[in-house]
Amino acid sequence: MVVADNLVKSFPVAGGQKRAVDGLSFRVARGEIFGLLGPNGAGKTTTLRMLSGMILPTSGSARLAGYDVATQPFEVKRVLGFLTANTGLYLRLTPRELLQYFAELHGMDRPAARRRAEHLVNWLDMREFADLRCGSLSTGQRQRVNIGRVLVADPPVLVMDEPTLGLDVISNRLILDFIRRAGDEGKTILLSTHYLDEAELLCDRIGFLHHGRLIAEGTLEELQRRTGLSRLSAIFLKLAAEGAEATAPAGAVS
Amino acid sequence: MTFRRRVRTIYGKELVDLLRDRRTLIAMIVVPIFLYPVLMLGSLQAITVQTQALGQRAIIVAGLGGADGPQAASLAHLQHEYDRIRALEPSATPASKTPAASSEPAPGDAPAAAVEDSAASPPPLQLSWTPCASVEEIGQCVRDRSAHVGVVFEEALTFSPDRRNRIRILYDREEPRSATAHARLEDVIARVAARINDERREALRLPATYFDPFEVTATNLASPSSILGQILPLILVLMTITGAIYPAIDITAGERERGTLETILACPVPVIDLIVGKFLVVTTIAILGAALNLGSVCATVYFGGFNELIAVAGQGIPYGQLVLILLCLIPFAVLMSAIMMAVCSYARTFKEAQNYVTPVILAVLIPGGFAALPATELRGMMLVVPVGNMVLLTRELLIGAPVGTSELLTVLLSTTLYASAAVAVAAKVFGKESVVFADVESLRSTFDRRLIQPSPRPSLTMALVVTAVLFPAWFFLQSWLQSTRGAEDGLGALRRTFAAMPVMFVVVPALVAVYWKVDLRVAFGLGSARVGAWVGAVLLGMSSWIVARELVVFQHNWFGMSELAADSAAALERLLRDLSPVELVLMLGLIPAVCEEALFRGFLLGAMRSGVRKMTAIAASAAVFAVFHFILAKLPVTFLLGAMLGWVCWTTRSILPGVVVHFLHNSILTLSAAHREWFSFLPQPQEGAQDHLPAGVVLPAIAIFTAGCVLIGRSAPKATGGSAA
Repeated sequence: MVVADNLVKSFPVAGGQKRAVDGLSFRVARGEIFGLLGPNGAGKTTTLRMLSGMILPTSGSARLAGYDVATQPFEVKRVLGFLTANTGLYLRLTPRELLQYFAELHGMDRPAARRRAEHLVNWLDMREFADLRCGSLSTGQRQRVNIGRVLVADPPVLVMDEPTLGLDVISNRLILDFIRRAGDEGKTILLSTHYLDEAELLCDRIGFLHHGRLIAEGTLEELQRRTGLSRLSAIFLKLAAEGAEATAPAGAVS
Repeated sequence: MTFRRRVRTIYGKELVDLLRDRRTLIAMIVVPIFLYPVLMLGSLQAITVQTQALGQRAIIVAGLGGADGPQAASLAHLQHEYDRIRALEPSATPASKTPAASSEPAPGDAPAAAVEDSAASPPPLQLSWTPCASVEEIGQCVRDRSAHVGVVFEEALTFSPDRRNRIRILYDREEPRSATAHARLEDVIARVAARINDERREALRLPATYFDPFEVTATNLASPSSILGQILPLILVLMTITGAIYPAIDITAGERERGTLETILACPVPVIDLIVGKFLVVTTIAILGAALNLGSVCATVYFGGFNELIAVAGQGIPYGQLVLILLCLIPFAVLMSAIMMAVCSYARTFKEAQNYVTPVILAVLIPGGFAALPATELRGMMLVVPVGNMVLLTRELLIGAPVGTSELLTVLLSTTLYASAAVAVAAKVFGKESVVFADVESLRSTFDRRLIQPSPRPSLTMALVVTAVLFPAWFFLQSWLQSTRGAEDGLGALRRTFAAMPVMFVVVPALVAVYWKVDLRVAFGLGSARVGAWVGAVLLGMSSWIVARELVVFQHNWFGMSELAADSAAALERLLRDLSPVELVLMLGLIPAVCEEALFRGFLLGAMRSGVRKMTAIAASAAVFAVFHFILAKLPVTFLLGAMLGWVCWTTRSILPGVVVHFLHNSILTLSAAHREWFSFLPQPQEGAQDHLPAGVVLPAIAIFTAGCVLIGRSAPKATGGSAA
């Protein structure tokens, strides 16, 4: 469902180029939850933005549901739902208006968009606040609206960039429940996080990103076997140390 | 989902979102509705009240001796006489007596507070006496402001016909109250003198004409330079800009700050649709703001009775022109909306955007403020000064002054050109990866040369901005060169103008291209062309001037030629005769051919190759080429010439065949004007310069022209991805 092949993304810096993502390759099967783990600056967000068609790769290729992210970005965006913890809402719109707006942006005509918004309002139990402006909602209510926005076109792929970063316990639980439920429904989920316990809890497979490179990939059991360690945090630290010894940092100026 | 539907969806959402914002409503509706009434009614009423208060306040008079002395008695006598006159006036209300100076109450006295002055009757007079021992002490009292004026009667006041009363008034002109008191006393004395004169004349049964042999009536036909008439256009323009600021910030930096930009970019919507939708909303709000401001101005002027303060005497605001003013403000609103969006797109937060906007407003205030000066006129350079031209145009329309079609078109076309460049910049900035995702240093990545990536050809934004900057610069330079020393011979000015052309049209864009790492060979379309293209270019150049000449004759015969245009053409012909043929061919043939092809067909049209359709690109570059000639009468033919040269360049993927066409066209045309004797088949001046050429000349020319087009059309390079323009 998701295929990244030797993806590279460079940004211009004084005196040359800085590689934020350096030759990244991985695959995510249909219905799988793939966790992209790594510290701040590892290249997780840049990878997800490339896979979502928001920025172009410098080289390499990626396909999402069969669509090329560089040449078919709009087709890619049609089949994915994108969510981050920092995702804001239009505070002067109501949840119902917001859902209808995003449904129209996904190509639905007005009556269809209205029906879809109504369905999501009921399904996510938002009737109570569906006609209040988003600016007056609580964090938990806003997260529910955000989940509705992600599901507005019922996409087969969900891309989530640190979706629980900075959230309180209740909102955090809401998001985790949503991811689990979406996984159960067969959606392909690409999740980036540096909360390793969340990854342990949710992900079918895990990829460790360090300095823009994938230093390890596999199920939790495979990674445990390979390192001889049980906790994901310990596994990551060991792999990161090995990776640093084996290769120079990808962020070096070329 | 179509482009139009997506834009409509985005437009509708953004408009609702903005109109629900209190700040937008305040900036767009509340401010215009309250600003003008407060500004005009409030300030004028305040001035009137203050003036009335000054006029009605008791005048403190310093004089020799006490309140019961002879000097005070003379003053009281004067006041008594004045009050008598006031009582005789039909609508007069007698003044109260002054406590110190009046020894006797005047008949019919009323409290000063109850006095309502009218324009027809003399105003009431209240005096208060300050005793002094000497004239020096009186002067000191006036200087230290303990008295408004000092009055010294040489002798006791009397109204005997054989006596002239000599009165000395001491006052301080720089002190408003003293100056007002002096004016009031002068007025009182003049009224008393006039009344006494009338009474004496009536007693002698002399006619009114006896002392007054003249009656002069002067009517001022000039537009009054009223303060309101001068500053209102500036306020109107500034309010249009203000209308664009808040929405521009809110939907760019505001969207990024709220974290919704990434969300929207993850939707299947092209960035261009997004920017168009947002840009239309900003423009709508700016235009709505302008319309509300205009409506508020007119309502205040109409209901407040300020017609005479704003417009030509006796005419009032030309309400019929309001629609025209609003239409003129549309390209201006587009320009400012695009500038604001481009600037704000760089900002990561609302506050940062506000900081970016401040210098833009200051930059706008300079030409706007200059244009608002009473002596600045809508002509010459001011026609193309951004913002300034719009302030002047609005002023002229607002006061009902006549505005020529060419002036109106020049202002609108130049503003439209600037607006197009600004829109292109806004679109480019908004869609820029480094700007959208502000974690990369967005502003630096655009201007820091080390971060700029090499590119084969200039971007459309770069080309439009360079062209938009060159347009007024070229206009100013030409005006300046023609007004500097030595310009009186005309020839010197012409030589300087063509000497400056390579710098403006080639060096400036080349420097910009080098800075932004653009391949100069591609940027200027210097690739080679096939043999057929060269032959075709020669055929076109040899014949196009005849076709162009016929078009000009056709235009003149059907639409007429203004006297000014005819004079300019005749003056140019005289100048050309003073040039040697070699200089003429170099100056008017070669230099424009190389420079104009490099800029308009190489740099501008080349930039449009990626992303703009062929016909649109050719028409747009031809329109810019025509506008750059600054002559309204030449607009149609220069546009067609530009379109032909654009087609040649687009087809051959090189500017070089176009240079040949342009060179031959200009050279033969100017030689035929300067040396008619070499072109015996042309009609001689005495035969009438507007005659068509004989069919024996025109038809072969059309045949050669067609052959040239066919050859060029068949000479298009086979590969589509060549290295040329």
